[in-house]
Amino acid sequence: MKKIMIIISLMLILCGCEKNNLNGEVNVLNWSSYIPYEIINEFEKEYNIKVNYGTYSSNEELLAKISSSSPGTYDIIFPSDYMVELMIQKDMLMPIDKNRIKNYSNINKLFLRQKFDPNNIYSLPFLAATTVIAVNKDKVLDDIRGYNDLFKDKYKNNIVLLDDQRIVIGMSLQANGYSMNEVDKNKLNSGKDWLLKLNKNIKAFDSDSPKTFLITNEVDIGVMWNAEAIIAKEYNPNIEIIYPKEGFAISLDNYSLVKNAKNVENSYKFINYLLRSDVNKKITDEYPYINTTYSGMNLDYNELLMVLNQGTYVENIGNNIANYDKIWAEIK
Amino acid sequence: MKKRRLHNLFIFLVFSFLFLPIIILVIYSFNSSSMNTLFEHFTLDWYKNLFNNRDLIDAFTNTLLVASVSTIISTIIGTISAYGLYKYNFPLKNLVNWLIYIPIVIPEIVLGISLLSIYTLMKLELSLFTIILAHICFSIPFVIVSVRSTLSKEISVLEEAAKDLGANNYIIFRKIILPIIYPAMISGATLAFTLSLDDVVISYFTAGPGSNTLPLYIYSMIKTGITPDVNALTTLMILLVFTILISITIYQSHKIRKAII
Amino acid sequence: MKNKIFKLVFILPIIIYSIVLVLLPLLYVLFLSFLTSDSYGGIIYSFTFKNYLNILEFTYIKMFIKSSLIAIITTVICILISYPFALILRTKSKNFQNIATKLIMIPFLTNSLIRTYGWIILLRKSGVINTTLLTLGVINKPLSLMYNNLGIIIGMVYTLLPFMLLPVCSSVLAIDNSLIEAGRDLGAKPLQIFKKIILPQTLSGVFNGSLMVFIPAIGYFFISDILGGGKTMIIGNLIKNQFLSARNWPFGSAISVFLIIVTFFLVKIYKHFGGKMDDLGGF
Repeated sequence: MKKIMIIISLMLILCGCEKNNLNGEVNVLNWSSYIPYEIINEFEKEYNIKVNYGTYSSNEELLAKISSSSPGTYDIIFPSDYMVELMIQKDMLMPIDKNRIKNYSNINKLFLRQKFDPNNIYSLPFLAATTVIAVNKDKVLDDIRGYNDLFKDKYKNNIVLLDDQRIVIGMSLQANGYSMNEVDKNKLNSGKDWLLKLNKNIKAFDSDSPKTFLITNEVDIGVMWNAEAIIAKEYNPNIEIIYPKEGFAISLDNYSLVKNAKNVENSYKFINYLLRSDVNKKITDEYPYINTTYSGMNLDYNELLMVLNQGTYVENIGNNIANYDKIWAEIK
Repeated sequence: MKKRRLHNLFIFLVFSFLFLPIIILVIYSFNSSSMNTLFEHFTLDWYKNLFNNRDLIDAFTNTLLVASVSTIISTIIGTISAYGLYKYNFPLKNLVNWLIYIPIVIPEIVLGISLLSIYTLMKLELSLFTIILAHICFSIPFVIVSVRSTLSKEISVLEEAAKDLGANNYIIFRKIILPIIYPAMISGATLAFTLSLDDVVISYFTAGPGSNTLPLYIYSMIKTGITPDVNALTTLMILLVFTILISITIYQSHKIRKAII
Repeated sequence: MKNKIFKLVFILPIIIYSIVLVLLPLLYVLFLSFLTSDSYGGIIYSFTFKNYLNILEFTYIKMFIKSSLIAIITTVICILISYPFALILRTKSKNFQNIATKLIMIPFLTNSLIRTYGWIILLRKSGVINTTLLTLGVINKPLSLMYNNLGIIIGMVYTLLPFMLLPVCSSVLAIDNSLIEAGRDLGAKPLQIFKKIILPQTLSGVFNGSLMVFIPAIGYFFISDILGGGKTMIIGNLIKNQFLSARNWPFGSAISVFLIIVTFFLVKIYKHFGGKMDDLGGF
């Protein structure tokens, strides 16, 4: 009995041993698969700061985590456009002092001064993404140009969509010629009918890694974020990536500091580090979203302009979200 | 004879079903493909990788830490409570006796969200501590139930006898009760440890930053495609568990044989 | 005096535990379920029954039924596997029985999420099962084994089977051999023996297992997430979404209270059929 106790307490001591981090820590909450682990590890080594890294897979989950944790739990978060706006309204963010970020000048001006935070007081662009349709041309020979081309019977159980109600219902609205941010009940209903019709072709909803479905040949068509599609294309060059003709969503994720963050100094160090040209390039090399810095530009200028002009941001729709909720439960 | 073979086949099938995914994970820990798709060729790289994957190791040690600490605390509290509930009468006894079954029967998700809500209400920062507290919460009743099963009427006879001989309460508990309930205590602790290692739902709701445990780490990876170093870790875990269990079994059967002789 | 302290040491922890960690959280959830959430997920302290009325919406009722059906099918499959297993185990040696019941527990010692992941490797279109069957020529088109309800049920049965196997085995193994022999001597047929002797004595074990399988099966959101491809929501997903994505804690709490009531009801039935509470937690 005593021996067991000793063994167990030894085990506890071993487990509890913490590495010494001279310069404290920083609590980062980021999207799952967004920053390669090596980059975090190198930051820790370079600055001797421990990074506590948590992940989330939707803006709503982020909001939930921030509001259900006590103040000062997290330092840096990466909310998308509409969530920045909402968090500003809810007074959850801390103004960013750009003077403390040496690499600020590396940020591509095209991405600054967006509607959700016109003077970039609370947010700085991190990565952008658009929804695209990815099609495995090995299997699907038809010419697919937009959402309304997805109804064919032969695509039964052959499509993966994002597990995101705003994107999926937004896509159904765009397919019907409405705005992605429509709140009118009748228009929403026609979106719902559109989705119910498409349902037989949908194999799965997945936000975290729809590319896996394409790579493992589980499906041949997917509506996903561009980076996922590009990675899938690296595995299978015959995957075609299409900007849907009815319109597509654009999302801009941002660096933001949480109000009452405890490790402000380290947070600036972390942001500055991520904006450094060599580090930044590594991120978009591994996860090929749209790079928002000058040094790491990975779309040609015209495509970038097109994406920024034609892409629609998901907007905050307040209480109308309840109607989206219900449609979502009905589709599933 | 034929019937017997059929019987054995059935038992074999049930166990294959139970072990199939684990065997697959073990096999794929030696697969060179990083996507866990088809078996390409044999490699030990993932085992090397495993020791460089700090996050995975962290998650694993956190899991072990949560499981050990919550097991120890819930075993201690569970054991003394089982005896307390058996021996004493007190005002809230009926209520308590009823409440301890709740963590056993209500859906884990309800327990998870109710703990999350109360943590939020109390402004308790989500951390390893909150996970441990949650695990203690669902483990205690299992220990109580396990220990209580060995406390019967005959024990009170022994207690009376000891008291007549002048033993005080502490001596009675230490010298009479503890040896009797010890096996049940160990099996309660084993159960608590196992449930803690296995838990996904409650950890999911009660974890905070820097308190990544294995299920959370894997949950965030599972759709992105788990890298096979997770398989490698699983293989090592199974190996460890098997060794421990087999040695316990051998030890026990050895003891039984000795007792018979 | 000393005795009093001794007594306190033995009863105080459990009183504190059961009130702070069990009763209070549940009462708070009950309280939350009567509140309102604002559009940003904050909680407004105004009393309402709206959340309970919301549960009665057709969309949600449909989901509850679907989720319960999945759980019932899971439970039935577990019973159909466990009974024959236990009956066969009865005929084996004590040693074998010991090892077998230990082996049942082993999968538990790796996290259930990892095991669920193992099933992805097995079940997906280009997974082990499909590739094997295709190369053997048994099928010529890959089967859809996951990203549908079948996948969810396979995952649920797999994860929860031990909770049925253990109580059923222990109740079947506990039957006195002489009873069955006596029945046989009196000329009872195997089916009669099963109906008259084995079934009545093992019913509470089966009920025990059914509770321990059915209740988690309506809540294990990770299985429907992972093996169902996010296409089927079970009640667990709905609650999880309310707490983590939709940010409607009051509605999530109302569903939880509803689940608690269902649980109590099931436990009542269990006790009615002679089940003991202590057996539920004893493996």
